[in-house]
Amino acid sequence: MSITRREFLPLAGASLLAGYAGFEGGKPEPRRAFGPSPVAIVKASSYSEDLASKILEGVRACALDVRGKRVLLKPNLVEFDPHTCINTNVAVIAAAYDVFKTLGASEVKIGEGPGHRRDTYALAEMARYMDVSNFDSLFVDLNRDNVSPVQRFADRGEIYLPNTALRADLIVSLAKMKTHHWAGATLSMKNFFGLVPGSVYGWPKNELHQVGIPRSIVELNRIFRRSFAIVDGIVGMEGNGPIQGTPKAAGVLVMGSDLPAVDSTCCRIMGIDPAKIEYLQMATGQLGVTETSRIDQRGESIRSVRSDFQLLKQYADLRLA
Amino acid sequence: MEESFLEARLNLLRRVQNPDGGWSYFPGKQSWIEPTAWAALALYPDPASDRAWSLLKSWQRRDGSFKPAADVQAPNWATALCVNLATVRGEASDKAIDWLLDSWGVENDFPLHTTAKLRIFDPERNFDLKAWPWKPGESSWVEPTAHSIVALKRARPHVHSRARIGTGEAQLIDVRCPDGGWNFGVPKVLGIDQPSYPETTGIALLALQGRTDIAHSLDLARKWVAETPSPMARAWLTLALRLHGIEPPENQAPVGTDMLITAIEALGAPGGNHALLKTGASA
Repeated sequence: MSITRREFLPLAGASLLAGYAGFEGGKPEPRRAFGPSPVAIVKASSYSEDLASKILEGVRACALDVRGKRVLLKPNLVEFDPHTCINTNVAVIAAAYDVFKTLGASEVKIGEGPGHRRDTYALAEMARYMDVSNFDSLFVDLNRDNVSPVQRFADRGEIYLPNTALRADLIVSLAKMKTHHWAGATLSMKNFFGLVPGSVYGWPKNELHQVGIPRSIVELNRIFRRSFAIVDGIVGMEGNGPIQGTPKAAGVLVMGSDLPAVDSTCCRIMGIDPAKIEYLQMATGQLGVTETSRIDQRGESIRSVRSDFQLLKQYADLRLA
Repeated sequence: MEESFLEARLNLLRRVQNPDGGWSYFPGKQSWIEPTAWAALALYPDPASDRAWSLLKSWQRRDGSFKPAADVQAPNWATALCVNLATVRGEASDKAIDWLLDSWGVENDFPLHTTAKLRIFDPERNFDLKAWPWKPGESSWVEPTAHSIVALKRARPHVHSRARIGTGEAQLIDVRCPDGGWNFGVPKVLGIDQPSYPETTGIALLALQGRTDIAHSLDLARKWVAETPSPMARAWLTLALRLHGIEPPENQAPVGTDMLITAIEALGAPGGNHALLKTGASA
C-alpha cells in the first residue's frame, strides 16, 4: 500500500530523532483518576437561533465558573471558501463572547494563528469575524504576538508560545466539528495548533507535523490545561476535511471542560469510534476521559443527535458500530 | 501638502520603530526579524535602516544564521532577508550564506528521499529538488525558498550557489498549483488539487524573475492584484509584478497597522526600493 508524504513525514521525523538524538521525549503527566466528566450536548439547528442562550445552557450544565478570569476565545480560522464551512461560525464566537462577559470574566479576548494563510485579518474579514462588536480591539493574531518559551514539548525541549495564550486563565476552544484527512477528526483539542506562532515555526507549522500530529495535539493540551471547549457542530464538515469537505448539518453545540471527553462525544455524534482516533487514545487517562462510562452526558443524548459524517474511504474503519 | 503613498508608509515606519532599532509586526510589541528586515530595506539608506541593521547583526548566531527575535533562541528562515540586506549595504555575509547553502528540507535526506524513490509512499512532489524550510529539521516550503533564492541570486558574485538556486527554482515550479499560483507548498493532497493563495503567489514570483515559463502565473498575479481583499496579498503581488517589469494598478489603500504589510507596500510603491530585490534570471 502506498502512503502519502504527509502520513509518512511525522513517522519518519520521530524515527530520525529517536535514532539520532536519544529520544527522551517529554515526560507524560502521571495517569490519574478523571471523571465522571460532564459534557453538554445542546441542540441548535441554525446560526440565527439565540446561540448565547444555548451556550449559557451548556456552560451552566458543566458548572464552569469564569468570574474574574481572563478568557481567550480560540476559534478555528483556517482558510476561507464561500462554498463550504471551514471555520467556526462568527455567530458562535459572538455568542460566546457575550456569555463569558455576562458571566463575569474580567477580560475576554479572541485569538487565532492560522496555519496556512499569512494575512490573518483579511482571513477574519472574509469569514465575517468583523461582525463581532469591536473585533479589532478584541482580536490578537497569535501568529505574530509576543512569545515566551515553555519547557518540555515532546522531544523538542521547548516551544515558544504566544503570551496572550500563556497569560489567559482560561482558553475556550471554539472548534468546528470536522473530519480531518490526517487525524481522522479535528475538534477542540487539535484546534490548539492555532496557538503555535507562525513567526517562529512558519506557515504551516511544520514542527508539529515533524513531532507527529497526535503527539503534538496531546502536548499542546498538556500545556494549556485551563481550558473549556465549545464545538460548533451546527454545521460541521464531512468527507475530505478540514478544508475541502462538504457541509454537514449536525445541529449541535458540544461543551465541556474535559476536552478528550468533549472530542470523544463529538466523535460518537459523527459516527466515528473515538477508540480509533490516535490522539484521543494518547490523551485518555492523561488529560481526561474518553469512555462513555466516565462521561456524564448532559443535555441531549448522543443517540438523539447522532448524524454520521461521511468518511474518506481510507478512514472507513473509523466508523462507530 | 498631502503625503504620497510611499511617504505615508516610510513616515509611519520611522515613527513606530522600537527603541532597540527593530520593528514589531504591530506597533507596541517586541521586535521581530521579519518586519525589521523588510522595514530596513524599505527605508534604506535612512538612518533608521542603519539602526535596524545594528540590531539584526546582534541577532546573528555562531552558525551564521539569525534568530527571529531577541529572546527566541532558534535559527530562522529570515536569515535570507539579512543576507540581502548585507548585500544591499555592501557588507560581507559569508557565514549566513554558508548557513543558507547548508539548509534544506528533510525530504532531501534519508529516509524520506530513499523511501519516496522506492515508491513506498507517494510524496506528490519531487524529493530530488532541494529547497528551504522555515526551520532546520523540517520540510521545505515556498516562502522560505523564494526568499533564499532572491538572497543567493543577489549575493551570487560572492558565492558558488548556482546549483542551489537552480534546484530551488525547479522546486518552486514543481510545487506550483494547477491554476498557476502557489500556496504554502502543497499542490496536491491525497491526489486532489489544492488552491493557490494570492500572497504566496506574489512571494514565489519574486524568486522567478526572468523566467519564460511563468506567463500564466503572471496572468494570475495580474488578476489577483486587482481582486484580492487582502492588503498583504496586494502588497506582495504589486512588488512581484513590478520586479517582472509589469506596471501594477495603483494602490490607494490607507496606511494600516501591520508593519510587515506597510514595509512591503513601501517597497512596491512608485519610487520605492523595489530595485533592491531585482535579480534577473538565474544563469
